Amino acid sequence: MSSHREAPAIAKDPVADSTDLYAFVSPDAPGTVTLIANYIPLEGPDGGPNFFEFGDDVLYAIYVDNNGDAQPDVTYRFRFTTQVKNPNTFLYNTGPISSIDSPTWNRPQFYSVTRSVGGSDSTLGTGLACPPCNVGPRSTPSYPDLANMGIHDLAGGHGKVFAGQRQEGFYVDLGSIFDLGALRPFQDLHLIGMPKALGVNGTKHLNVHTIALQVPISDLTPDGTSTLTGVGDPRATVGVWTAAYRRKARILNSAVSDGNADDVETGPWVQVSRLGNPLFNEVVVPMSKKDLWNGLPPSADAQFIDFVRHPELARLLPVLYPGTFPNLAAVTANRDDLVAILMTGIPSGIINGFQNFTGTTPADMLRLNMAIPPASSPKLLGLVGGDAAGYPNGRRVADDVVTIELRAIAGATYPLVNHAFTPDGAASLIYDLENPNNTNTPPLSYLPSFPYLNHPESGFDVPS
Amino acid sequence: MTQVSRRRFLVRGSMGAALAGALAALPGLGTALKLPGVARGGAGASKAGPLIAHVRDVSTGEISLMVGERHVVQRDAELAARLYDAAQQES
Repeated sequence: MSSHREAPAIAKDPVADSTDLYAFVSPDAPGTVTLIANYIPLEGPDGGPNFFEFGDDVLYAIYVDNNGDAQPDVTYRFRFTTQVKNPNTFLYNTGPISSIDSPTWNRPQFYSVTRSVGGSDSTLGTGLACPPCNVGPRSTPSYPDLANMGIHDLAGGHGKVFAGQRQEGFYVDLGSIFDLGALRPFQDLHLIGMPKALGVNGTKHLNVHTIALQVPISDLTPDGTSTLTGVGDPRATVGVWTAAYRRKARILNSAVSDGNADDVETGPWVQVSRLGNPLFNEVVVPMSKKDLWNGLPPSADAQFIDFVRHPELARLLPVLYPGTFPNLAAVTANRDDLVAILMTGIPSGIINGFQNFTGTTPADMLRLNMAIPPASSPKLLGLVGGDAAGYPNGRRVADDVVTIELRAIAGATYPLVNHAFTPDGAASLIYDLENPNNTNTPPLSYLPSFPYLNHPESGFDVPS
Repeated sequence: MTQVSRRRFLVRGSMGAALAGALAALPGLGTALKLPGVARGGAGASKAGPLIAHVRDVSTGEISLMVGERHVVQRDAELAARLYDAAQQES
């Protein structure tokens, strides 16, 4: 998956597990950028009575680099606090939750947002309420109204924020891709062949927890400008990543003798999860280094560049699909196209009228050129499909990043840096779920406005 | 660490007090260590919040102290050994 359970250690810590990151110029508010970091993978909507929530003991952060050094220039930090209104019931809610501050919601969660620039912190909001999980029609009637109460303006005109449960917006045929790299529509060509079949969305009917920001472009540019001169403006491109942290030391049930079973946590924050480009740690970084990668900042990513230059999946495809990728199989040179897409941004002169280059520092960041306006007709294939407002120019909620990255790794983007290379025909045909060559409709629906990811699946309506 | 510097470390404001408070929570440990000049559970402890001391390898004398968002490493072979000895005592 994009980054769900992508490394051995974080797979055991879902509350701190970043799953997807999005960054795009807001289609309905083009003077702003929307940043979305998702956490807690594969939430079964009916997972009560302790429904999903952010970790009070986790520090969540969204970072923006605006000068290409892979160091954070603008940082947003989020801390959560959970209340228990009635300690004498096991219930999540003691009646219908009709409002975000309803007394019948027994376990509301609140959070603070801090913005840091140049070592100076400013608090943009405290005591901000999350909406409850979508329990069902009796407990959370009129859920969209309830959820929209969780959209808050940030202090000082710094935009707005939402934190709470959403429908999983990332789609992928999980069951197939992790069964020895099978793609159901092409599995008749697989080394262990089976009749071709339609893809199955493995994340359908699942939820996730979202932290979403919509901030003025001027809050992200290095000089605070909101007026960019064009795609080539060096101030236009930012690199974005998210990370989660836990305290270095933890003692379980330290005070149990006095009847209080709270854990004790102290010491500095230690990074346990990171996410920039979808699938980077999942597919590019080998198993033995995934936990290491999760603990490092993007500025340390030079040590992983050879895994991008020579991705394992590019070697596997010709083996798994014999005779289908002969040109890819012959490639021995560095895949500088993938280095550009994933680690430096694409320099000007490669794709006509486009660049999102942040410099030579190799780092896994989601790079967004904010001077490119939202597309009037977005393409699921993003930049690969001729739509410069989509991945890998940032990432929109509906972008088919699995197909885009599969095709890129299969060689479809290699001619950008090696004009002598002819991609195999399959490189521009493969997909795992629905064929974006034939349809531009994603398999999920999204909201037309902030926070864009749809309301979560109802626990009552969608048993997992 | 010299005896003088070790004492300074132990009595240094809230951290010393907090360390004593945390260590005193271990049965018998307070008397076993006989920390000089440190009042258990003093005002500093409540201000500092919990303190966790970690001795990864007693032979190095390296003691990691975590309090608040800080991580301080001290080298004190004697204290590390005494902590280890105290931990062997039956509660």
